[in-house]
Amino acid sequence: MIAALNGAFDDISRAIRLHRVWIALAHEDIGDQHRRTTLGPLWLLVNYVAFVGTFVFVFQPAGKDAAGYAAYVAIGLLVWFYLMEVMSLSVSLFQREESFIEGTTLPLFVYVLRLALQSAIRAGYAIAGCLVILLLSGPPVASPWLWSVAGLLLILLVTPAMITVFAFLGAFFPDSQFIVGNLLRVGMFFTPVFWVYKGQEGIQRYAYHWNPFTYFLEIVRLPILNGELPAHAFGVTIIMSLAIWMIALLLLGRYRKQVIFII
Amino acid sequence: MVSIKLHNVSLVYKLHEKLTLSAPDRRVGGPGGRIEGSGRKQFVQALDGISFELKAGDRLGLVGPNGAGKTTLLKVLYGIYEPSGGSVAIEGKVDALFNINIGFRREATGRRNIVLRGLISGWTEAEIEEKMEDIIAFSELGDFIDLPFKAYSQGMAARLAFSAATALDPEILLMDEWIGAGDASFQDKAKRRMDELAEKAGIIVLASHSEALIQSVCTKRMTLRSGRIESFTTEPTKRAGKPAKL
Ligand SMILES: Nc1ncnc2c1ncn2[C@@H]1O[C@H](COP(=O)(O)OP(=O)(O)OP(=O)(O)O)[C@@H](O)[C@H]1O
Ligand SMILES: [Mg+2]
Repeated sequence: MIAALNGAFDDISRAIRLHRVWIALAHEDIGDQHRRTTLGPLWLLVNYVAFVGTFVFVFQPAGKDAAGYAAYVAIGLLVWFYLMEVMSLSVSLFQREESFIEGTTLPLFVYVLRLALQSAIRAGYAIAGCLVILLLSGPPVASPWLWSVAGLLLILLVTPAMITVFAFLGAFFPDSQFIVGNLLRVGMFFTPVFWVYKGQEGIQRYAYHWNPFTYFLEIVRLPILNGELPAHAFGVTIIMSLAIWMIALLLLGRYRKQVIFII
Repeated sequence: MVSIKLHNVSLVYKLHEKLTLSAPDRRVGGPGGRIEGSGRKQFVQALDGISFELKAGDRLGLVGPNGAGKTTLLKVLYGIYEPSGGSVAIEGKVDALFNINIGFRREATGRRNIVLRGLISGWTEAEIEEKMEDIIAFSELGDFIDLPFKAYSQGMAARLAFSAATALDPEILLMDEWIGAGDASFQDKAKRRMDELAEKAGIIVLASHSEALIQSVCTKRMTLRSGRIESFTTEPTKRAGKPAKL
């Protein structure tokens, strides 16, 4: 285990030293995805705003609950889309990078950081849209919003570990690419992204408390909506993040040299 | 001091290692290495008991039939594959030219690809910028350098790959059957550059099926067969001044 951790840290530190490579590649990726489009990456913003608009239009509750709903959905979708994109791109990460993995000796973590940066840049457009929606509809700006920023940072920090875990999963267990894709599509309905949990019984109760995604959403959403630090959600998220990092380090240390043989 | 030392290196490709829900298919082997085992535990012994040493100035030609293990050996030397057994000790900065399309971005321009390639080799933007004009001049790609890589012909891609890889001052250069795509004038130029590199106390390892190329570039020859060294000889023909006839 110590050897595995050493291997992982070696891979990570070499990848960090090669920061120029993944920064350049991440920019290439964003550019490639939007080459020859008129709006370019602004499409990300348009998509996001259109989604939030649709959900608010269809699901907005009547009466006094209506007020915070736009903010609720805006933050929920921001975090959910980010996590969903990260996970669904991660499971096929090593397969997509096959040509570089077979032709260069770059540490694997370079590809992980490249995807992490790319996702963060893409999320930036959604964050801009989210801020506008919050300022137009939400509660007044207050100091607890900083907890939301901290929540976002925590999600960014756990992203490379999540990418690593899902990338190894997809490489060693190719069926998982389809399983994860389907689970994520269904998962949106079992996660409090657009429905609000107010202590009701039944399936929503389980979906709220036993769904790990709930906590990732709540650490960003609750500080802005309730104006207070959601200590419980933060605690759960931090513990989950540490666990994910631990698994990621072990996988990276133990199996990084095997990836080339199985993609 | 630039050197390569391999001791008893072996490499096994395991097949069916992926966990999958589908029934395992039975693969049929080509003319290559040895396929052993059966069912879930099939593997190909691509390299077996490879030991040799190279020192500064050596130019090794790797020959052998399809599937003999030439590409696999180059990838072990480059560090892409960790050998299944034995030890590899390499001193010096290694660069490699495999399949031309490997490690290039099709959407990016030739110029951008040179930058990426340099960054991957651990160079800074400034250092790459310094070499950029040299690389472009050597490749003779002219205005094509600002077109996307996917618009290049095979030979143009080979020119770019070779120019970039050799301009970045590798001490050890590994090449796999790449040169065929370049035209005669470029092959001459490429050969001169390899000469320079070897004279600067570098090592070249070149895998090829072209007898003429091996004879004109290499000072040593290793024949592989089914993953084993069949023979390892010093080329008798002195190559001094002889023009490359490919
Ligand atoms: N990714 C792989 N998975 C399984 N077996 C492989 C893989 N790559 C190569 N092999 C096997 O390893 C052996 C050596 O292959 P290698 O590519 O090194 O041959 P080569 O000497 O370069 O052949 P060629 O002259 O055709 O380029 C072959 O038997 C081949 O089938
Ligand atoms: Mg080959």
